[in-house]
Amino acid sequence: MNIHTYEKVWIVASMVLIVGFIATITYGAVGPGIAMIDDDGGDINPDEINDDERFAEPGVEHVGGNEYEVTVVAQAWSYTPSEIEIPANSEVTFYVTSRDVTHSFSVVGTNVNTMVVPGQVSEMTAKFDEPDEYGILCNEYCGEYHHTMEGKLNVVPEDEFDLTELSVEADDEIDAGNETTITANVTNGMQEDLETTVSLEIGNQTQEEDVTVPGDGSEEVAFTVDSADLDEGDNDWTVTVDDYEESGTLSVVTPEGNESADGGDGDA
Amino acid sequence: MRNAYLDQFPDEARVIKAAFWSSFIALAIGGVLGLVQALHRTDVFRFIQSPDYYTVLTAHGVLLVIVFTIFFLVGTFTWAVTTSLDRGVVDTRFTWAWYIMMVIGAALAGITIFSGFLESAPSILGSELNADVLFTFYAPLEAHPFFYIGLVVFVVGSWLAGVDWFRTWLAWRRENPDERIPLPTFMVLTTTLFWYICTLGVSLSILVFLLPWSLGITESVNPLLTRTMFWYFGHAVVYFWLMPAYLMWYTMLPKFSGGKLFSDPLARVVFVLFLLLSTPLGIHHQYLDPGIAEGYKFIAMTNTMFLLLPSLLTAFTVVASMEHGARQRGGEGYLGWLKALPWRDPIFTGMALAGLMFAAAGFSGMINAGMNINYLVHNTWWVVGHFHLTVGTAVALTFMAASYWFIPQLTGKELWNRSVALGQVVLWFIGMTFMTNAMHRSGLFGLPRRTAEPQYQGFDFEPAVGTVGEINMQVALGAVILTLSLALFLLNMVMTSIGSNSESIPDNTYADTLSGAEDSPRILDNLKLWTAIAVVLVIIAYTLPLASIIDAGGLFGPDIEGFRLSTWVDPAVIESLSEVIR
Amino acid sequence: MVSRPYYLLIRMSSGTEQREPDHVRTLGHEEYDPIGTAILIGIYFLILVLLWIFMYFVEFLGNGPTVVGMALTVVGLA
Repeated sequence: MNIHTYEKVWIVASMVLIVGFIATITYGAVGPGIAMIDDDGGDINPDEINDDERFAEPGVEHVGGNEYEVTVVAQAWSYTPSEIEIPANSEVTFYVTSRDVTHSFSVVGTNVNTMVVPGQVSEMTAKFDEPDEYGILCNEYCGEYHHTMEGKLNVVPEDEFDLTELSVEADDEIDAGNETTITANVTNGMQEDLETTVSLEIGNQTQEEDVTVPGDGSEEVAFTVDSADLDEGDNDWTVTVDDYEESGTLSVVTPEGNESADGGDGDA
Repeated sequence: MRNAYLDQFPDEARVIKAAFWSSFIALAIGGVLGLVQALHRTDVFRFIQSPDYYTVLTAHGVLLVIVFTIFFLVGTFTWAVTTSLDRGVVDTRFTWAWYIMMVIGAALAGITIFSGFLESAPSILGSELNADVLFTFYAPLEAHPFFYIGLVVFVVGSWLAGVDWFRTWLAWRRENPDERIPLPTFMVLTTTLFWYICTLGVSLSILVFLLPWSLGITESVNPLLTRTMFWYFGHAVVYFWLMPAYLMWYTMLPKFSGGKLFSDPLARVVFVLFLLLSTPLGIHHQYLDPGIAEGYKFIAMTNTMFLLLPSLLTAFTVVASMEHGARQRGGEGYLGWLKALPWRDPIFTGMALAGLMFAAAGFSGMINAGMNINYLVHNTWWVVGHFHLTVGTAVALTFMAASYWFIPQLTGKELWNRSVALGQVVLWFIGMTFMTNAMHRSGLFGLPRRTAEPQYQGFDFEPAVGTVGEINMQVALGAVILTLSLALFLLNMVMTSIGSNSESIPDNTYADTLSGAEDSPRILDNLKLWTAIAVVLVIIAYTLPLASIIDAGGLFGPDIEGFRLSTWVDPAVIESLSEVIR
Repeated sequence: MVSRPYYLLIRMSSGTEQREPDHVRTLGHEEYDPIGTAILIGIYFLILVLLWIFMYFVEFLGNGPTVVGMALTVVGLA
């Protein structure tokens, strides 16, 4: 073959370029540790998503330390959950699957981006160092309202993040002269124990109780309320745990005739 | 005495002319739909409902990347084989047969897509006629069976075209047992071989899985399997439509520059590399797919990166051929020779600008090929920018410039207006510069592709440089310029065709070589050897990924039924739906 | 078209046997030195290298968060 010198040099330079590109990609995998979406997520029957251990209740879960798992179900044309909150300085593993057609789960302005193929689970881990707000969008055509498919990922400061849930059970009314109980149920989704204070304000009284909610558990706090301390008629109450609060109204009524002294038992 | 192609091969000229006009019709419709999309997406002018955007997009994709390119390809390849072998095809009736088959296939798929605009599409074979599935038709999105049948008929037509070229070559071989395969024919044959290898994937995907499923014969598909089989074909097809452009750059551009092809042997090496590596790299379109192990993705990347080599070699050979022409025309100096090139010739200028844009596309292609950097650009507008430089400019602009040479050759009529033609190719270059630079940049901040309204409720895009508005304006402006350029091209083609016969059509020849076939080892012409190696490489790259996909999800997937999405929706339903969505 | 002196019209061999009125000289493989091509392709090479570095290390690695492997996962490079 009759190859010009310049052309020989160019062939060598081209090979250097190609090998250099492959070397850069390899560096990205070994140095910063970038991993590709692969088959680790396994497969899933889309009809059985609701019965799946992981996907039955999609959302954020604490694994331990600064590790979290977020499960997301994509379907035309929304994500469940549509808004995700995680703490800064966390390592989050996403598990995403589709109920119907092929979607993507792409966190805008980041390199967190995966296809979501029905029958497959996309698993990917990313570290979120700083608080920020990101949009999530679907970048694979999934039907006529594809362009409306979006979500949000909020990375909040570590000290503002928890997985605490508060629910309160209380009667709607009590007969004058009786006592009732307002029960606060505090659930702690974090793996560590949660030490906090539950407080109840009713009328012009405040009751407080310190509790330790075990990791991945819940604790009930019962406050006894005596109608004698309350005004006749409606009394507003508020139960507070950290930043969560729940309110309701307790009516003190004068019993008439043989009516049952029990109040209703609706949740506030 | 005039010696144009028409005079040498009058029967073949008629088929080629028909193929080119089929290609131009697809280009005209597909191009106008591109303008509709550009204006809609950027919110400059919206006159269709957003769900219809996806019907427009499906038609734009299928018409331009399948119908336009492949009709032009079969015309060019038939010209190249007959011209370089200096003999006609074996039987023009066979040539007409495959051409008509391709027309039927394209029409069937086209009608199915366009009936998506109807308020109530006719129901045939038990389902509504539409195919809003985009060019990639990823299951479980489901199209009407006619869409799949049309694609298969079209592809089989192209297979028969390949048979035609091989037959003609074998007939020539019997008459010339010891000659080297002429370079243009060599390019046609190697390209046809990898077309056979790669279309096998998409044909099996359609015939075994998608068509029976859309007809209700099978119940379910494995979406990852059909997707992988699509991409087995989906990247090779881009080289398929690129190869006629390469053929023009190697065999015609040196002549238009006033010189000779720098190296015939390296041109052969380049096409052998395309035959070997075009198919076993499709997984690079699936870097972000679940269900495929990272190792297979790495293999696909390695193959992709090595396929840069033939394109980088082409860059050198083609520019060196142009420089040879420029120096023969009196060009001097290190770079001063550039001024001696025939820049007033629309054919030369069109191809040279197409080549320049391809150099830029080479860069964004390198990024696309890089496995982990794909997280940054995957399915963003960056990718759309990339292929508007490749198929939209390197290929389309070369084809248009080549048409200024071909149509006079095929009709015996002189080009209607060379100045309009020169303006047209320059406008295309300018329009694409606006459009593609903006698209590339927008991908870097995550603006998605394939989206009717990339304006979201809950967040804004944050470009590091410039604004979303400025990017949209560049794309809209680029699209308007491109449409104008397209109109000028079609005008020139129509006016040339209805013009009168001319005796001053140049002879039908292709470029001579500085270093000819005699300098290249004979083994390069051993097509059986290279095909065998290509098949082995495909088996290595695809056996394990396909086995693990089938192992995990089964051949027909876990009970995945189709989603037939008709895009015409009652406006009241749209209202209530968008309420629910928000 | 610029007309050239007749003595510069040279009949080309094989494929392109036609008059090339714009030619002022004919260069064979030995006499032709594609230095201009070498310069252009060298510039292209530099652009590719610089843009690659910019895209990978600034645009991509600076665009975090990025998908990473689990702490002890060995990165698979088949």
